[in-house]
This record gives sequence, C-alpha cells and structure tokens, in this order.
Amino acid sequence: MSPTRRTLIRTALTAGAAVPLLSACVTGGGGGDDPAAGNTGTKSADNPLGVKADAPLEVVIFKGGYGDDYAKHAEALYSQKYAGAKIDHKGLQKVGVALQPRFVANTPPDVVDNTGADRLDIATLVGAKQVSDLTALLDAPAFDDPSKKVRDTLLPGVVEDGTFDKVPRTLNFTYTVWGLWYSKKLFAAKGWAYPKTWDDMLALCATIKAAGIAPWTYQGKYPEYINDPLLSMAAKTGGLALVKAVDNLEPDAWKAPGLVSAAEAFAELAAKGYIMSGSEALSHTEAQAAWCQGKAAFIPCGSWLESEQKGVTPDGFDMVMGAVPSRTTADQLKQTAVQAASSESFLVPAKAKNPAGGMEYLRILFSKQSAKAFAQSAGTLPAVAGATDGLTLSSGLSSVRDAVTAAGPETFTYRFRTWYAPLAKAVDDATGELVNKRITAAQWSDRIQKAADGIAKDSSVQKYTR
Amino acid sequence: MRHGRWRFLAGALIPALVLHVVFVLSPYAQAFYLSLTDWTGVAGEARFVGADNYRRLTEDSLFVDAVRNNALLLVVVPLVTVAIGLFLASMLHLGGRGGRRSVPGAGAYQIIYFFPQLLSLVVVAVLWSFVYNPNTGLLNGALRAVGLGGLAASWLASPSLALPAVMAVLIWSSVGFYVVLFSAAIDGIPHELFEAAVLDGAGGWATFRNVTLPLVRDTVQVAFVYLGIAALDAFAVVQVMTVGPGGPDGATEVIGLSLYRNAFQYGKFGYASAMGVTLFFATLTLAVLALRGGRRSTVEAT
Amino acid sequence: MTLSVSPPRSSPSPPVPEPGGRPARPPRSLRTVPVHLAMLAWAVVTALPLLWAVVSSFKTDDEILNDPWSLPSSPQPGNWARAWTEASIGRYFFNSLVVVGGALALTMLLGSLVAYALARYEFRGNRIIYYTFVAAMFFPVFLALVPLFFVVQQLGLLGTYQGLILVYAAYAVPFTVFFLHAFFRNLPAEVAEAAFLDGCSHGAVFFRVMLPMARPGLVAVGIFNFLGLWNQYLLPLVLNPDPDRYVLAQGLAALSVSQGYRSDWSGLFAGLTIAMLPVLIAYVAFQRHIRAGMTAGAVR
Repeated sequence: MSPTRRTLIRTALTAGAAVPLLSACVTGGGGGDDPAAGNTGTKSADNPLGVKADAPLEVVIFKGGYGDDYAKHAEALYSQKYAGAKIDHKGLQKVGVALQPRFVANTPPDVVDNTGADRLDIATLVGAKQVSDLTALLDAPAFDDPSKKVRDTLLPGVVEDGTFDKVPRTLNFTYTVWGLWYSKKLFAAKGWAYPKTWDDMLALCATIKAAGIAPWTYQGKYPEYINDPLLSMAAKTGGLALVKAVDNLEPDAWKAPGLVSAAEAFAELAAKGYIMSGSEALSHTEAQAAWCQGKAAFIPCGSWLESEQKGVTPDGFDMVMGAVPSRTTADQLKQTAVQAASSESFLVPAKAKNPAGGMEYLRILFSKQSAKAFAQSAGTLPAVAGATDGLTLSSGLSSVRDAVTAAGPETFTYRFRTWYAPLAKAVDDATGELVNKRITAAQWSDRIQKAADGIAKDSSVQKYTR
Repeated sequence: MRHGRWRFLAGALIPALVLHVVFVLSPYAQAFYLSLTDWTGVAGEARFVGADNYRRLTEDSLFVDAVRNNALLLVVVPLVTVAIGLFLASMLHLGGRGGRRSVPGAGAYQIIYFFPQLLSLVVVAVLWSFVYNPNTGLLNGALRAVGLGGLAASWLASPSLALPAVMAVLIWSSVGFYVVLFSAAIDGIPHELFEAAVLDGAGGWATFRNVTLPLVRDTVQVAFVYLGIAALDAFAVVQVMTVGPGGPDGATEVIGLSLYRNAFQYGKFGYASAMGVTLFFATLTLAVLALRGGRRSTVEAT
Repeated sequence: MTLSVSPPRSSPSPPVPEPGGRPARPPRSLRTVPVHLAMLAWAVVTALPLLWAVVSSFKTDDEILNDPWSLPSSPQPGNWARAWTEASIGRYFFNSLVVVGGALALTMLLGSLVAYALARYEFRGNRIIYYTFVAAMFFPVFLALVPLFFVVQQLGLLGTYQGLILVYAAYAVPFTVFFLHAFFRNLPAEVAEAAFLDGCSHGAVFFRVMLPMARPGLVAVGIFNFLGLWNQYLLPLVLNPDPDRYVLAQGLAALSVSQGYRSDWSGLFAGLTIAMLPVLIAYVAFQRHIRAGMTAGAVR
C-alpha cells in the first residue's frame, strides 16, 4: 500500500510544482512565431502551392455517413506525390469539441473537415481569424487538368458558399439540393402527377388523403427540415432580392409578401390536416422510415436522403426529388429553381504548421478522380462539376442531377444559417409553431423579424453582406 | 505524537488538494474570469467586457424560459422521486406486516429498480425517445391496447406535455437509487419501534408517518440535495430527447442547454460562462439552504 | 449536513394512536396483493425499456425502425460482432478498464484520506478545505473543459492514460469526500483511541483500523464512482483525442453518428448492451455491499 501511495504523492507533487507554469491560460494570447515557418517549399508548375515534400500533414475528417475512406484515398495520392510526408489521419465524430482547444492553443491540424452536428461555428472561426484564405488554392491549376483553375472545376455557387467578406475561407466537398421527395412507384400506381403549383399541391393532397395516405410528413424533431420548402417557395415568389434582404438583415425583410404568403401556404397545409399526425415529434430517422413505408406521400429533405435511407428503403420504391411548387403565377423564379448549396466544409487553419500541404491536399481531394470515387461510394453529388459523368446513377441521385440541370442558373441559397446561428434557431422554432397551428403566418413573420432586428442591433455579432 | 499528526495530515490532504487545485479549481477560476469577457472559444484573445454578459442574461428570453423550466424541475422531480422512493422502500419492508419483515422477492425488486441507474443519461434518453414516439412508441401503444387511446398524445411535441415527459424520465431514472437508499435507512430502524407501533394498533400509514418517516429524515434531506443538483442539470436528457432540442418553442429549454448552445454553437463562450457561474451560485445556495434548514429542524426535534 | 447522529434508540418514541376502534383486517395474504401489484408495476416500468434495448441489439435496423416492439424475426449476432470489431469496442473496452480502474483506485485512496483527515482532526482551515472540495460538485463540467485542456496539455499529459486517470480522479474526489466525511465522523472514537495507546502511528490507525471499519461505505462510494466514471463522456472527449486510446463512451459515439447521416441502430444497441453488461454484473455482485454501505453510512 505505502509504496503506491508514495509514488502517487510524488506524481501529485510534480503536478503541483508545475502550477506556476500554468499562467499561460486560455486567453494568454498566441506567440508571435509563424507556426508554418520552415514548412514551405519552392513553387513550380508541378507544385503550384509550394509544398515542402517531407513536411508532415495532419488531416482531420468528419467520419459520418460517408465514412472517411474517400479522404484516405486522397491521402494515398498525396503520399504518392510527396513520398517523404508522414500523414496523420484522424476520423472523428465530434469534430468541434476535439478541435476547439487546439485552435485556442494555436496548434490546429493542417486541414479540417468541419462537418457534423458538433462542428465548430464557421462564422466564429472566421471572425476569430483562424481560417486561411484559400484564394491561392482556387487559382492553382486543377490536379488532373492543369489547363483549368481549381475554381473553374467546381459547380456553381460552391466558391460563394465558402466566401466570407469576399475572401474564400472554406471549400465544400458535397453538393446538396433541397426539394420534396416521393416514391415514383407509388405515384405511378395511383396515377398521381407531381404538382407544379401550390394549388395543384393542395388538390393532390386532398386526393392522397382520400386514398388513406397522409399527404405529408416531416422530421418534426428538427423543424429546419420543413423550413427548407417554405423558404424555397418564398425565394421563388420574391426572387433573389428577397433572399439577399433576409441574409443582409434588412428591416422588415421577413415581412416580405413572398415570405408571409409561403408561411400562409404551410399554415393551410397544416390546417387542412395534410400533415401526418405525430410527425411533429418524430426524429429524422423515424419520419423518413414512416415515409419509406408508404405512410406519407411527400417528405421535404436534402439530396442526402437516398443514401441515408439505404438500409430501410423497400425494393422498387424509386424515390425521386421534385422542386418545390410555385406559389403564384407571378413568381420571380421558375418552378424548376432549386435551393442548392455545398456542404461538408473543408478548411485550412490559419495557424496550421503545414498550410501549403493542407491546400495541396484539398487540390487533390477536389480533383475529378477523387470526386468520382466519392460519388460512386457515397451516392451523393460532389461539388466538382462532371464528377458523375459516365456513372450509372440510382433513381434518387439521377433525379437530383436532373433537378440541377433543369434549374440551370436559377439556384439559390440562404446564408443566414451559417452567418447567424441564433437567427436560424429563432426561424426553426417559429416554423415549428406555425405548422403545429399554434401561431399564424403574421405572428410567424413578426417573431422572426424581431429576432433578426435583435441581431442587426447587437454590436457583438460580426455582420456579413452579400 | 504531535509531530506525527501534522505529518499525517499533510500526507493525507496535500496530494488530493494539489490534484483538486490543478485540475478542478484552476479551470473553474478561468471560467469565472472568462464570464467577464467576450471570448469566442476558438481563439487566444478575449476582450474584457465587465458585467455585460450578466446584463444580457436578463434580456435573453430563451434563458428566462430555461430558468423557469429548471425551477419547475427543481420543485417537481425531487418531490415525486422521494415520494415514490419512500413508498416503494416502505412497501418492501412493510409488505409483510409486523414491521420490517421484507416481502418475498424484495432483493430481486431492489436489483431491478436499480437498473436505470446503470445506464448513462444519454442512453436513458435514447431509450425513452422510442417510448414516447407518438405513432410507434411503447407508451401510446400501451394506452391504445388497454382502451385508453383517447389519452395517447404527442408527448414531446406538445408544449404542455413536453416538460412533464422530461420530468418523468428523470424520475424514472433516479427512483431506483433512492429505493435502495431509503430501504437501507429503514433497515437501520430498530425492530422494537415497529413492534411497539403494531402493538399499539397503528396501521400501515400511521406506522409510516410516525416511525419510518421521522427516522429516515436525514437520508431524505440528503436525497433532496442530490436530486436538486440533478434537476438543475437535466442537460443530457433534454438535449437527446426533446424537439429542437429544448422545444417545442423553448418549452423544455434548460440552463445547461442554453449554455452548451452558446458556447459551442454560437461561439459565445464568455456569455456561456456567465450562465455557468449563475447556475453554480444557484445550485450552491440551494444546497446550503437545504442542509441548513435540515439541521435546524433536527435541532428543534431533539 | 446533520452531524447529530442520534442513535435511533434515544429517539422519541412514536406517538401512540388510540387503541382499538379499527375494523378487523382481511387476512395478510389478501392485504399484500396491492403492495405486490405496486411493486411489480414499478419493476415492469424499469425493466421493460432495458430489456427492449437488449432485444433490439439482436434485430436489424429495418426492424428497429419499422417495428420497434417486435421480437427479432431472426436474431442478428452480427450486430454484436460488428460492434465489437468494426467499432473497436473491444479495444475501447480495455482502455476503459485501464482508465477507470486506475482512476477508481486513486479516487478511493485520496478521497478516503481527505474525508478521514477532515472528519477526525480539528485544525484551522478544516471547514474551508471541506467546502472547497464540496463546492466543486455544483459546477457544470463543460465550462471547465477548454481551460482544463490547457492544464493537461501544459503538463504533457494529453491523450495519455495517466492524464485521464488523474483528471477522472480529480473530478471524482469531491463526491467521495462528501460521502465518506459523514461516514468517518460516525465511527466510534474508542477503537482509534485504543490503537493510539498501543503505539500506532496516525497512518497506521487510518489504514489498519479506520479504513477496515469504513469498508461498507468505501464499497458503496466505490460503486457510485465506478458507475460515474464508466459512463464519463465529456472529459475523454476533450482530453483523449487519440482514437487508439478511446474509451467505451467515445466508441459508442462512433456508432451513433450525427443527424443527417445513416445511423447503425442495431450496432448501437449491441454496443450499449456490451457497455452495460460489466456495470450490471458489478452491481449484482456487489449489491449486498452497496446496501450494507448505505445502511452503515446512511449518507448523513
């Protein structure tokens, strides 16, 4: 007993002696040294970012539904090119909690896939000057097509999605499109046609309900899912001007007729009993499972739905995504317009030890070769143009690709979710109340406007405009 | 002997104190300081903002919701848990009359009642979200099966039912511990007192009120403190189980959740620290009041 | 905390109800029926969700989502195998054993020493030290996480077993002190005095006399600490970044990936059951001691 104790005491005393060293607290401020010093190589046509061949590279990947094999694939290509580089790969679930202290300590990894429910708030990171400017990467020649710059190989909107105050800070690897999903098989069997206008939608809902099926369900536990079609409909009515007014926190932006009218549409959907009862309490997995079982005809979701439902979709279900119906005949955008944005954000920390290596890694990851491998294994569109060329796509993924083609230049996305997380929370809460008939469309717009005004007035929040 | 005494005391206290100061107190001291800054949690710099964070707390309607909900949890969860715990513990003993003879199977019951204590709260919350599912959940299924389908509800999505549903989970998960605790306390009551009560013709309730309750009073008091701390937390259950989480529309928001969201999702670590400091003083005050109040009443009873 | 531990015998005898005047009671066997029903009802309410988790670990994802209350149509032992190997639950299990075992031993040693010293010795600052420890039970842990990371990093203990053990112990000591303090206070003074007269040193009195007498309390608080440490999640999340050293709770998170992605429900339930089993076995094996510990200490 006693030797053990003595050892323990010695350990504890050693720890005690170290206390004065701890004066370097979390807010002690970083040293002036450039952490990347000595980790740059000479730039050349083959090495446009100036990678030092033997500098170690630390890669942190969110290991979610897509796994992290695609990232390892790109790492293998990196090692092929820079044989001396030792690559430290980490696949994590809780990216934020694991990396937050490392950002504070100025010892972040060289490249981070900041994704998942526990990611770090990107606006906060950018505001704290923790993220590198990716302009050099975007202007570098593409990995497998040196005739093009990296920025020209990406799908429309991808660069903008990662831009903060005119500086590109993140590069998003997957391309997500939002819409309404249904089973082509069910609709064909019943002779139903996908509605192009909201009036048609309501008429079809009456038919569906009469057939003993709930017209809609949604992922009630996370009301942001039903926000997406509502905000898409508003964007079609009010056009990009409406979207920008909302993102720029303009006065009375949320009282725009387009938004109020879209909110009224969803209030009506709920009032007529077209939403499956119980939806309001279902998690995304539960609601989507119910929809796959044919208990409801429509469900709003992003393009990841098909791969997420892989294990529980019945054979021959043939899920497809349609663009949100138009609210009025005077809408600013066509019915085919879709809300689309890239996600799965990769960034190179400003204090990384090997930022050139981090960017080079992204150049490799965003090559057509890597993206194609990803599209094949993950069943999701990558942000790289033409990555699905020549691949045989499943019914859901091909409907998504068709939707992108049909939309042409008319894709849009709201940025306020990324810029002002508290506003996103206020919108979600209000929409949850709206579709549960506890508030009216007018109250909905009042509440959100008040929250937006509060953020506009709050001097402690960094503002962005587009 | 004097010399040995000090050497022993130093040896006994210093290692633990060092550990405590280094790993517990110094981080918390920093958190106290951070509550006076605008620290984002992702960078090495912070600006001193004085009491600004504390001022903002009063204007944050979600935080006010959280305080209200925590206060409700604080009243209901300990009371109901202690009531059920005491009831089951005395049943275990008084089921066979004549005092403390245990009912058959009492040991097995105590093992089963303790089950939920073995799971982390996250797991408990995952299990219960399946129970509360309005369409396929165990609860509504059971209600429909016994012809009470009219009572079936969307438990976690109705503003009036969501918080009680959370309370039920907290109570469910802690009752077992208190059954075992109270049962042990009742075991410590001498036979003679129960026998005397029986000879006097006291019924089950009278025996409970006049013999059991006064003699397990200290244990009950400590139970209130533990449960109070648990009720002021409730973070894990709310975060995993509720709509939003914290919803619908703030109906189940708790301070821990607001704190977590501000610190890790909004990058307002300084502000979140202010919430934590507030919560700390609330909990501490409460514990001191409960224990002090208890001590006074013991003195009066003697 | 009440320090006046009145021996039950000296308690005021209960007020005497008026004798007689009560109707004759039905025979005992009948009267105990409602009691049994009440206890049985609570047993069902507690056991059912847990049984359900175990049953679910043998089902397919499809069955769990679509038919959550049925029995598996054909048991899927593959879930367990997958949880054990693919999700490395086996290795995490070992890591958890090392860390929790080490931390538990350290906590018990330090906690009982502090509790004993504070309970049995009068000296200046005694109360202050006591409250310094106890106050730490009331602080939300995740506020300390980021500063704590720096402390651990400065000491060069990040991602090491030793680091986790020390931190786990530091956060378990306050409760241990709180629990054992009253316990030591209630031990009879005569035995210790006799030992001192026999020439025992202070340390020997503690280890040879007082500690064995406090055994029931030690077992009880040991079990509570074990439960708490085994389920600890936040601390390793921040302080243990190396996947090779993940503890079980971190491994389980890997099985329940976040919203927006496909989840392996069946693997998760299998992992949960694997994580739950040792705790359950420990409890069943020690439950008599736990109850004995509570009786003796009665957590006053």
